[in-house]
Amino acid sequence: MADKILQASWLIALVPLVSSLLIMFFAHRCKITSAFLSIGAVFYGLIHSLLILYISYLNPERTLEINFPWISAGAFKLFVGYLIDPLCAMMLVVVCVVSFFVQVYTHGYMKEDPNYSKFYAYLSLFTFSMLGLVFSTNLFQSYIFWELVGVCSYLLIGFWWYKPSAANACTKAFVVNRIGDAGLLIGLLMLYSSTQNFWLNKTTLAFGQLKNAIDFAIGSHLLPVVGIVSVTTIALFVLMGPMAKSAQFPLHVWLPDAMEGPTPISALIHAATMVAAGVYLIARCYPLYIAAPVAMATVAWIGGITAIFAATIALSQFDIKRTLAYSTCSQLGYMVMALGLGAYSAGLFHLMTHAFFKAMLFLCSGSVIVGCHHEQDIRQMGGLRKHMPITSLTCLVGVLAISGFPLMSGFWSKDMILASAWEHNKPLFIIGSVTALLTAFYMFRLYFMTFEGEYRGHAHPHETTPSITIPLICLAVPSIFIGLIGSPLIPGGDKFSSFIHFGEYHAHHEWGINVFVKELLTTQGLIPLFAFIVGTIFAWMVYRKGFALNTFVKKNLSFIYNLSFNKWYVDEVYFWVLNRIILPCYRVLWSVIDKTIVDGVFVNGSARVAAIVGGGLRFIETGRGQLYALVIFGSVLFAVLFLITRIAR
Amino acid sequence: MEKLIEFFLHHSLSTILIVPLFAAVIIAFLPNKESVCGIVSLIFSLDILLDVLVVIFSKFDPNLTALQYVENYRWFGDTIRIKLACDGLSISMVLLMAISLPVTIIASQPIAKNKPKLYYSMLMILTTSVLGVFLAQDLFLFFLFWELELAPMYFLIAIWGGPNKDYAALKFLIYTFTAGVCMFAAVLLLFFSSGANTFDMEVLTRYGSNLPHHFQLICFLLFFVCFIIKLPSFPFHTWLPDAHVEAPTPVSMLLAGILLKMGGYGIYRICVGFFPHVLSELALWIAILAAVNIIGAAVACLVQDDMKRIIAYSSVSHMGFVLLGVASLTPAGFSGGIFQMFSHGLISAALFMLVGTLYERTHTRQISDYGGMTKYMPKCFYLFTLATMANLALPALSGFVGESLVFYGAFSSELFKQFPTKLYFNFGQICVLFSALGVILTAGYMLWLLQRVFMGPENTKWSKLTDLRTSEIVVLGSLLALVVVWGVYPVSLSNLYEPSSSALVEFAKKATSSL
Repeated sequence: MADKILQASWLIALVPLVSSLLIMFFAHRCKITSAFLSIGAVFYGLIHSLLILYISYLNPERTLEINFPWISAGAFKLFVGYLIDPLCAMMLVVVCVVSFFVQVYTHGYMKEDPNYSKFYAYLSLFTFSMLGLVFSTNLFQSYIFWELVGVCSYLLIGFWWYKPSAANACTKAFVVNRIGDAGLLIGLLMLYSSTQNFWLNKTTLAFGQLKNAIDFAIGSHLLPVVGIVSVTTIALFVLMGPMAKSAQFPLHVWLPDAMEGPTPISALIHAATMVAAGVYLIARCYPLYIAAPVAMATVAWIGGITAIFAATIALSQFDIKRTLAYSTCSQLGYMVMALGLGAYSAGLFHLMTHAFFKAMLFLCSGSVIVGCHHEQDIRQMGGLRKHMPITSLTCLVGVLAISGFPLMSGFWSKDMILASAWEHNKPLFIIGSVTALLTAFYMFRLYFMTFEGEYRGHAHPHETTPSITIPLICLAVPSIFIGLIGSPLIPGGDKFSSFIHFGEYHAHHEWGINVFVKELLTTQGLIPLFAFIVGTIFAWMVYRKGFALNTFVKKNLSFIYNLSFNKWYVDEVYFWVLNRIILPCYRVLWSVIDKTIVDGVFVNGSARVAAIVGGGLRFIETGRGQLYALVIFGSVLFAVLFLITRIAR
Repeated sequence: MEKLIEFFLHHSLSTILIVPLFAAVIIAFLPNKESVCGIVSLIFSLDILLDVLVVIFSKFDPNLTALQYVENYRWFGDTIRIKLACDGLSISMVLLMAISLPVTIIASQPIAKNKPKLYYSMLMILTTSVLGVFLAQDLFLFFLFWELELAPMYFLIAIWGGPNKDYAALKFLIYTFTAGVCMFAAVLLLFFSSGANTFDMEVLTRYGSNLPHHFQLICFLLFFVCFIIKLPSFPFHTWLPDAHVEAPTPVSMLLAGILLKMGGYGIYRICVGFFPHVLSELALWIAILAAVNIIGAAVACLVQDDMKRIIAYSSVSHMGFVLLGVASLTPAGFSGGIFQMFSHGLISAALFMLVGTLYERTHTRQISDYGGMTKYMPKCFYLFTLATMANLALPALSGFVGESLVFYGAFSSELFKQFPTKLYFNFGQICVLFSALGVILTAGYMLWLLQRVFMGPENTKWSKLTDLRTSEIVVLGSLLALVVVWGVYPVSLSNLYEPSSSALVEFAKKATSSL
């Protein structure tokens, strides 16, 4: 039975694809049918993936990998297939749970939209692509689905194509992601070409064989560890993909703009699942990074820099979704940092907890936006707690979870990351702790400005419909409790790390309340807690008690404030380079080479030469036979003489 | 009946060639009405498609790398013969032509209202000549078909073209004629220097690599110039944007869809088949040329204001992958190049059709005249998005298969290892790395085009526009359906030609190493 369930797991991905096609071609006129098809498909996936998780949890060693040849040319073969292991099982559940609740929520959020059915079709297509990515057995297949999730994201950001901001955002998202993809492609090409002989009779670029392949390449001196063509550069090129997809500095610019899409998309794609795909890919390619310490350190630093960089921007944003978007960047930075520090389980643990609470936070923001009649500026909100009790309560849960309130899900995963940073890299521990402080501050700022105080807007806010609030409540439960599976409070201790780990691990962890207290009362346990408390108190004082910190900063430290408010001017720099340097250069290049040199000099020039030569030839081609005969005779003579000299030599 | 089938199977290739000629004659006797001529030529084109499918599915064995369905008739004595035959490489190109033709005829409806008889006759003569190029196994016959293609194409542009059609048609004519002259010189040179006293390509293949080196080099270059004019490749590419901009939509579809592939086919069949040694010597230069095409044309795309020009330059960029695949001399590169020709044939035809539908309604190709077209033409938007994604090589659509095969093949090519640099990458790999940047540029120009035309605030000037007609949806739907099918399940196409192309690689490698 268990075998059959595992073997049929491809259905989890395929059913949403079928439902998406059905909606696109047959059910696009009927709202209820399309919602039913789409939600039904992901519900099936949810049940099936829970079964898989259960089977996999009972026996983590039990994995399944099935490959089909996709194309071959000579000895070169590419495969697609599906792989079930603990990591995959965990991701399947995360994707299906979030996707399911978001799809239910969509019904309430998009009820009035004329393209309601199309939205569900795209959602199902996205679910398919994301599940396909999770199932991937090899890097090449990952690349396929990697791009497919990107295009779904493109379609959904541009869902309201008539808004210029949305139109810009979707193009930007795709192009920035393509930069990452190009890096990933180069990484794959380098990896393949240097380990070419290893893959004969094996699944090309399979994750399971990655370690052996690298050992093979290093062992047979095909590939050094450092150098221009080396494991390190391959790892760094591959890293470009995750940097774009998981919005790491400096390729993060697309994510905040992606908030132009409908809110369910922000929750599903740009917070919980797709952006985590980068972290997932780094985890899958872990052997590559383990073999290249420099690349590993780069991963950690990119994560750390992104974490604090995005947090500083989030401090001063007024758009509720953009603030959350920067907080997503920042949290993704934590995950990437964790992987770079070697804290494999911690990074993926944070991926899981973050998926739940961040999806919920985004859905809350969507609920607020609907409740306030499409207002997104938190300066136009305030006091919504009275009008929207459920939304405000769930939002508070999310805020507490992300800021690391003790015993809630974010607390455990963030602590795990910071503990490993303390162990391996003290500067990154400081960065992480400061980020934790900032996180608590901006999240409570968001909460206070939205839900507390007096209402500052002009609409009539109201609580939203059950199809919006029920998903919120349902997601609040894992946001509070899911962290416990990685805590020392449950019997047997940290179950998450025993289930998902890389290489050696401790099968048995110490557990019990005293263990927890002992761990908490260390420097690395107290500092994050302290950061949370300080951040929260600051936010409370500034936004509830009128402590004029922000006016002080705006007046006296306007430079810093402007940097934060204008997102460190990264977008401006990029656009300046693009519009002032790249495009004008291209224009000049094209007009010089194509228009002037090729067309001007060669084509039209040769026409002119032909005209001149033709004019000249009139004097020679006189029509007089004698002259022609003379020319022919001369030529033959010349040819004969030429041949004779050749033979004589 | 059985005898008829037997007869067809023995003369299938000549039937395929004669049917369009016969159709052209029939059309000449029809009333001068678009509807009649259109239907008749559609029926004939479907018949050609059927014939090709019968050929493929009856006795054609893709695993047999030798020539199949051979027909060999005397023509001018024994020297110049009518020899027709196909292998996996040529039959896949014939299939592409057979698919493109009915689609083009359906798309011709609006344009052929003017002089329908002449139009459809020209189309049919063009078909014969293109099919002839792919099927001819006699070099002289090959050359004749190659030149025959010129006349109908010239008239199709010069009669049914846009405002600047004379310039474009003449430019096309001169370029292609130059190509023909180069080829003719090469053909004669080869004939007289080989001393085989035959134009049979199979025989000449054996002689080619025995010629003195400089002879091989000259012949190779003459053929190569001829083919890259057609492909087209830098620096002989500027006829293409002009021809495309002025040509009517269906002619553009055929031009991009199939005529450019004659160049690619020629490189495979003749440059590789006859002179593998020269190819391996010049591989690096070809790879550089390919990278210049891929990147240069993509750069040109980014700065165009005319929709059709963007698609035209994008053809140049995409055909660069064919060159890169050939230069790599690996099974993956070769296979990828052929797949790329096939998928580009479908995708660019679809894109030209889409741009044509917009132009037909608005009579402008300037991008700045558009904006928010989705509101008035949602179906056009969806199909345009799909074609755009296919053009920027999204996985699961056919463009991706060809490009990734070429990338993997070229990057791991043994041949390029002869050209080391101090940067640890070899020169060929550096070309591939540059080409990989094209991935970004392609996404940039295609999505920017999509955004400027279909998204943002709508231009109310176009509020009276109607969405796609059924015939247009049939055309685009069938092209893009194939793009999806071959993108998801590429083996269904690559099985047809893969043994032949791998055999060609083996042959070329053997010839190179023996010298």
